[in-house]
Amino acid sequence: MNCVGRQVSGLVALILLLWQPMPARALDHDNLDPNRPIGMEDAYAIPKGEIGLEGGVRFNDRREGRTQVTFQPQIIYGAFDNTQIEIQGDLFTDPRSIVGANKSGDFHLGVLYNFNTETLILPAMAVRVEVDLPTGVNSKGVDTQLTGIVTRSFGRLRVHLNAGYTVMGSPAGQERPGAYRAVAAVSYPLGYPYSFRDTLIASLYTRQSDLRGQQNHTGIEVGIRHQLTSRLVVDGGLGTEFLGPSERAALLGTMGLSVGF
Amino acid sequence: MIPAGTIIRSIAIVATATVALALTACSQFEPRDKRFYYRAMWNFALREDLAELDSEFNGVDFGHSNLYENLLLTGGHDVPAIEEQARRETLAFIATKPRLNPNEEAIAPTYMKLAWRAQNTFDEAHALHRATYDVVVSDEPDKDRAIRDVLAYYRNSAYAITSKRLDHRRLDRFPYSKAFRTRFPLFNATIWSYHYLQVAVYDPLQAATDLAAKTKAVRPILTTYRRYLEHPPVQWTFMPLTAELSPQFAARYPDVANIFDNLHMLHDNISDILTSERLPTWEAKRQEIYRVVDHYYLASADETNPMIVKSEQEHRH
Repeated sequence: MNCVGRQVSGLVALILLLWQPMPARALDHDNLDPNRPIGMEDAYAIPKGEIGLEGGVRFNDRREGRTQVTFQPQIIYGAFDNTQIEIQGDLFTDPRSIVGANKSGDFHLGVLYNFNTETLILPAMAVRVEVDLPTGVNSKGVDTQLTGIVTRSFGRLRVHLNAGYTVMGSPAGQERPGAYRAVAAVSYPLGYPYSFRDTLIASLYTRQSDLRGQQNHTGIEVGIRHQLTSRLVVDGGLGTEFLGPSERAALLGTMGLSVGF
Repeated sequence: MIPAGTIIRSIAIVATATVALALTACSQFEPRDKRFYYRAMWNFALREDLAELDSEFNGVDFGHSNLYENLLLTGGHDVPAIEEQARRETLAFIATKPRLNPNEEAIAPTYMKLAWRAQNTFDEAHALHRATYDVVVSDEPDKDRAIRDVLAYYRNSAYAITSKRLDHRRLDRFPYSKAFRTRFPLFNATIWSYHYLQVAVYDPLQAATDLAAKTKAVRPILTTYRRYLEHPPVQWTFMPLTAELSPQFAARYPDVANIFDNLHMLHDNISDILTSERLPTWEAKRQEIYRVVDHYYLASADETNPMIVKSEQEHRH
């Protein structure tokens, strides 16, 4: 079995381990997690005890080179008070020989800890620590990432700031040993006061290129999360990178599904 | 050249302001502490099997949060804003027959930031409410055990309301008490109508043996409730109590019934706090809400709670 196969087997085994023969409970579509559907998150962990199974398909139509499709299976578990644990393993179609921290089949472990709820004075604050184990294709070294997250609301509009730094475990060639990423995003519940099923999200982001000497990837994304049933949230997003290296994204698109139980 | 005295004064002002801000921020540093529902086979039985009743409860969720947000933003003295506009919004939402419970943080973003701990206390108790409906509607063979389990899960929360019987009359005699019902009798009676619906359905649901019978059993209650929404029962002088409307449920599960009555009393207290001019600032209202929750409602205060009824004679409504 190759690395990707082992990765998928591991995820399936973990899903079976966590799964109990019980119906799912409501997933909060207003709780924003990375990639569902866009690359930002809010400062809140899922409730203690909740298990979320999330999956998505993301395409990246690049300005140069082939379009890449990514499958994004993820498990989120509200393991402790204000703490969620995430297990993820993105799987990419060709071209897989990419540079950067995220390689196809890497085993990704993350912990998000929310320090506080938002009050009249204080924003909600959280920290995320992530580790990418080199189980994937052409992957070497353990990559680590630290991200600070702040959420502040103004009426129903919520503003989210994410700032993170990734340390590459084993940079090769012109790869950077570390790279920062910053996101400013807003989310807004649509339909008030008659409907509470949809949240609109938009973000502006910039991140250092994977290789030295290149421009930052800078782009925008827009997405929506829709509460389909008590247990299911569907999401979709679109984006583009207007600055960056020649192979930057011309069009990004994501479709996903989350189940909470 | 700036004089040294000016520099020192400026530094002192900045330092004082920084310390003051830090102290204020520290006093508002609160954990979120959201907890998932008790997971069981009967989850969502009400939503799936008795959607008509479930949608009314979703409307109730909107009503409470919408009221608190509007009371806070209008200072509690704008009668048309509450009695007409906020009530009309609530009735309009209920009329949509919502299939899912609304996102209360989107309804009351300001109130949630003011008193999150109180909201979390409500959320936990509302989850207990929902769980008990699910149990009584479901085909769970051992309902007593299921309710015992969900009650144990509830009690495990730091935000659990006491299951002891509280002296509600005494809890209704704070200096600001009755401010809400006096100024906003229509909305107050609307809130009490929600509480009527929430507790009146238990006995009929428990007595009915199958789903068809349960559906039929709640119809008259829904009819009465909808009449109350159109013509709020302003003649009522006190909130509905579980033992009065579902005596068999209250006798079988007295701890659960006490929690629900205490929850509904806490709703009344917070409505009064948000209405009263005796607590003129948001910070004063927040402090009083937390004082009341911490001293008189949370189960963690049972050892010292002076509102706990010690004997039956004390408890007369």
